[in-house]
Amino acid sequence: MENPESPQKFVVPIGPQHPALKEPAHFEFTVDGEIVTGASVRLGYVHRGIEKATEARNYPQGLYLVERVCGICSHVHALSFALGTEKLAKVVAPPRAQAIRVLTSELERLHSHMLWLGVAAHEGGFDTLFMYSWRDRETVMDLLEQMTGNRVNYSINIIGGVKQDVNDEIKTAILKGMDFLEGRMAHYLTVVTTDETFLGRTRDVGVMTREQAETLAPVGPTARASGVPIDVRVDSPYSGYVDFPVNLIVDEGCDLLARFVVRIKEMQESIRLVREILDHMPEGELAVRVPRRIPENEIIQRVEAPRGELFYYMKSNGTDMPERVKIRTPSLCNWASVINLAPGYNLADMPMILAGIDPCFSCNDR
Amino acid sequence: MELSLHPIILLLFFPGGLFLFVAGLLYEWVDRKLVAQYQNRIGPRFIQPLADIIKLLAKEEIVPDGVHKGLFIALPIVGLASALAAALYVPLVGFNPAYSFKGDLIVVVYLLSVMTLCLGLAGANTADRFSLVGATRTLTQLFSYEAPFMLSLLGPAIVAGTWQISEINAFAIQSRPWWFAFTQIVGFLVAMIGLMGKLEMPPFDAPEAETEIVAGALTEYSGRGLALFRIGKDVELVIGLTLIAAFFMGGLANPLDFLWKTAILILVVAALQSLFARLRIDQTVGLWWRAGALLALLQLLAIILGRYLQPVLSQFFSGLFGG
Amino acid sequence: MDLETALQSAEALLQPLAVEIKRPEIERVDVYIALDNLKPAVQALVDAHWGYLAAITGVDKPAPAAEGAALTGDVEVLYTFANGGALATLRVRVPYTDAKVPTICDIIPAATLFERELIEMLGVDCLGTPDPGHLILPDEWPADVYPLRKSFTGLNQE
Repeated sequence: MENPESPQKFVVPIGPQHPALKEPAHFEFTVDGEIVTGASVRLGYVHRGIEKATEARNYPQGLYLVERVCGICSHVHALSFALGTEKLAKVVAPPRAQAIRVLTSELERLHSHMLWLGVAAHEGGFDTLFMYSWRDRETVMDLLEQMTGNRVNYSINIIGGVKQDVNDEIKTAILKGMDFLEGRMAHYLTVVTTDETFLGRTRDVGVMTREQAETLAPVGPTARASGVPIDVRVDSPYSGYVDFPVNLIVDEGCDLLARFVVRIKEMQESIRLVREILDHMPEGELAVRVPRRIPENEIIQRVEAPRGELFYYMKSNGTDMPERVKIRTPSLCNWASVINLAPGYNLADMPMILAGIDPCFSCNDR
Repeated sequence: MELSLHPIILLLFFPGGLFLFVAGLLYEWVDRKLVAQYQNRIGPRFIQPLADIIKLLAKEEIVPDGVHKGLFIALPIVGLASALAAALYVPLVGFNPAYSFKGDLIVVVYLLSVMTLCLGLAGANTADRFSLVGATRTLTQLFSYEAPFMLSLLGPAIVAGTWQISEINAFAIQSRPWWFAFTQIVGFLVAMIGLMGKLEMPPFDAPEAETEIVAGALTEYSGRGLALFRIGKDVELVIGLTLIAAFFMGGLANPLDFLWKTAILILVVAALQSLFARLRIDQTVGLWWRAGALLALLQLLAIILGRYLQPVLSQFFSGLFGG
Repeated sequence: MDLETALQSAEALLQPLAVEIKRPEIERVDVYIALDNLKPAVQALVDAHWGYLAAITGVDKPAPAAEGAALTGDVEVLYTFANGGALATLRVRVPYTDAKVPTICDIIPAATLFERELIEMLGVDCLGTPDPGHLILPDEWPADVYPLRKSFTGLNQE
């Protein structure tokens, strides 16, 4: 059974169709026995040209378009587009709208991290945790549906504010859901830090030291698990985060275990923040008027997506359509870490290391 | 319980052939359903495993390029046949084995391994990378659990003083209520986990870890070949459970015994499946050789010592106190 | 380091290389530089540990072309660095006729994906980038067609 290319080089291709990948991408791992010696990536299988398409649509249309960049973190795309457009037009959404935007962001972070927890557990062959975390994720999905009317593309943002209000009934439901999830989070934290077979798959696997993290420049929880204190919500508070500050979660563990711990602790922080927002919801209008044509201007808007820093560059040209929208998603920054970390580990660790950065292929392939 | 049947019936219906298919599918369903329940899912309906097999049998079997065609078709048949042959020597459903001779325990253990060997060869036969990695892992795993599994089964055999399955079963029935599961708890655990390793159940499913190597050695199999391998595994599950129940759980005297004892075993197996994360292949090997083999060996030594020293010791003590 | 100090330190670092420095937003500093000074500027920021490379953005700026004349214009390439809340953008302009920038992968290895995207989508060649292969577009994509150029309105379906 000789490899046609060369007897020394045994390449295991993963993707574009593979059970470990929930979205299409192509990886080639060069292996020596079970040990990986090299890795490369090829993206673009679901590229839709959204950046180009925004240039031919007006701002409200663009808002709905960018929300479809990613199915898991749809709100943050719409949020940064809305914030960016407001900045271009030099208007500010009212405080109640900002609070609701942040509330949705945090609920979305909860559901995204729980989805990731399940997928990562599945990659490690721990299907029980996968099933439990996805069951609990339904709580958040239902809350989001109750609040916004949709489970995935919430469409709660409009340019200049938000569409839906949070009434007392929804508030009670969310608080009840948070009580349930708080107990579950404590349980998950115990499971991932004490289960011996699971620790065997995560401890000292995919280690990225702080020095490496600073050269490879990952963002979000991946960076924070290596002790790099970056979080746009803290560094450059936007929208409602000015009034409702978050605590930075970092872990010095640098391995896969640390990435689990950071994300679960972040969910606990999100639960705290959701409660605080609901208890101190500012009163007032939900939206302000924004002119249709936006004068020539250029802005950079960053928001913290569940996967890390999301970067929007927007340029207007005086018409009702943007001149250029550049979307740099967090996963794109995190790829470099996977490709550089892979050599030296077992082939069996690859799905876990891949999942460790919480890759989102749709995000990469705008 | 005695049962004398015509050899053709023995081979085609009971305990071979048809009965084993049905029993195997039923146990597969129980296993899947239990795992689903442990994981807070609903799980399949009882007809699902049968439906899967019928669907696979009806489908086209694709023979990929670059394989030895004869081997590709023969391996699943050999695997299944050896598993069915093994059934003739074990006390299925509490009836006496259809055939029995001195030392048939060794034969059964070997027949059960043939299935795994076929799986490994089937993977190595194709040019697919996932199959090759899967085959390597299957065979690596074979070498790690096989010795401890064998050692653990030898425990009851040595105490019973025979290597004939039917006699060990009879001995176990006699020695009630002192189940070997209590007196040889290490051996019992090693045998249980060994069976899970044999059947590549989680957490020992590294050879077919879908998130890494798709379906391991069976990646290139489709249609009939895949169906035969799956039936083979189901049959092996039934035989394995029967063996363990007969050896460690006070023997199998009648069908009722068989039912409730294998039911307990499958409950435990399903629980173990849903409790752990998948072990990497190096972790599996490490676990077996560092813990499994060593413990089984110690247990065996203790049994041998106890057995052969007992007359000497009792003589010594009676001399000491009696005289 | 608070916002203002971060911005001032970036200004101080880039002052000798800059053509012009602007503050378009409260947390941003834009530094217009000549193409030759790009690598020294990136090197200066990296040496001073001034944040990390957040994105490389290409903006197409076609010149209003006369009817039938050859298309002319520039592509502006923006190298945005983020340091906490502060953003520093290095801006260089290259004409269509000579759309080439030096790679910065030797200084920042993580820039490779950004550069591959820039090459594909805007046709700005990054000289010396380690892997110039297709990242996003299909392998059979025609050469010299760059989707994010303003002149691109769709492929002809043959």
